[in-house]
Amino acid sequence: MASAEVRQIRRRIKSVQSTMKITRAMELIATSRIAKARVRVAQSQPYTDKMNEVIRNLGAGSAGLSHPLLERREVITSGVVVVSSDRGLAGGYNSNVIRMAEHRIQDLRNAGKQIRLYTVGEKAKAYFAYRNFEIEQAWLGVTDTPGYGDARRIGNVVLEEYQSEAVDSVEVFTTRYISALTQRPVLWPILPIEPPEATAEDTAVGYTFEPSPEAILARLLPRYLEGTVFGILLEASASEHAARRRAMKAATENAEELVRLLTREANQARQAEITTEISEIVGGAEALAGG
Amino acid sequence: MPGKLFRVDVVAPEAIVYSGDAQFISARTTEGDIGILADHEATMAALATGPVEIHDAEDNVTTIGIHGGFLQIYANMVTLLTDRAEMTAGGREEALRLAEELKAAQQRAVEQAGAEVIL
Repeated sequence: MASAEVRQIRRRIKSVQSTMKITRAMELIATSRIAKARVRVAQSQPYTDKMNEVIRNLGAGSAGLSHPLLERREVITSGVVVVSSDRGLAGGYNSNVIRMAEHRIQDLRNAGKQIRLYTVGEKAKAYFAYRNFEIEQAWLGVTDTPGYGDARRIGNVVLEEYQSEAVDSVEVFTTRYISALTQRPVLWPILPIEPPEATAEDTAVGYTFEPSPEAILARLLPRYLEGTVFGILLEASASEHAARRRAMKAATENAEELVRLLTREANQARQAEITTEISEIVGGAEALAGG
Repeated sequence: MPGKLFRVDVVAPEAIVYSGDAQFISARTTEGDIGILADHEATMAALATGPVEIHDAEDNVTTIGIHGGFLQIYANMVTLLTDRAEMTAGGREEALRLAEELKAAQQRAVEQAGAEVIL
């Protein structure tokens, strides 16, 4: 019968195999989620493009743009929004963006600025709450499949804070989706709004404005901010799924390797056992024959 | 015979709601209803809550309920940018009703967000 050692190794193999099933399933799920998230990024593109176009035309058609949301003012309090995921098992996805934000907060504090912190996702909330940072507002359950309503909620809050001068600038820390293999944490300033640069194609057409250009701009800029936040959330979501896929792929590969090593170990142990048994039998038989 | 056509795109953040050629569209701006035929002068307008009607080349009418957004007319290209739009087969009244619903839904969302902040 199999000895204790062999049995123990076999039990470990089984446990590793069942973990491997889970990581492989998570890898497959993440893979399909990336595709979906990428589609949603692509679907939001026309809106973003058109919005940029309207703002550029507005700038070209009227005598430049001016609005409180566009004006830089001296920064006393800086708003920081950290976009993380709700769940872990995504490799360095969360720690990368959180580390970057924390460094920035340190720098801002060293420069004598006040900080107001907002978080998206459970992970950033947990991290900063544990370190006794004051979190003004935390949004949860957003990043898996962000909707425009989520972007609107977040946009409205930061906008109100900016307009009431609770903060003088807002920076978002998020992860950009560069490719399936590369996602990079970035600092993305959203307030004051940096209007898209006019390109050579935008000719100054004599637009008729209904109502005035100022009134249209005043309605447009909050929408523009929401659109920006929506884009950020969608890309963060695609990045999260890509990071999770990569992490789970690595975990599955590690598990495979482990199973291979353990199987070899189990075979060796079994072989050693058989050898011992044979030599015992041979020894016993010889003792009987000799007697 | 259909009149001269122009391009219409109704774009929302999560999808393109409508894209095609039209001979006539009407929409409600903050300043009042606007009717647009081909070769309309370059215009930018803010949209109010109300129905948008699109008459395509075959004289089929598409109605869309819209709550807020922007309208840009430039070189026979009409773009309606809106964060809330819903298509309907029920004609103007239905579209208006939908638009009002979208408005109410947004107000609810804002109130809810406000309540969450207080909590």
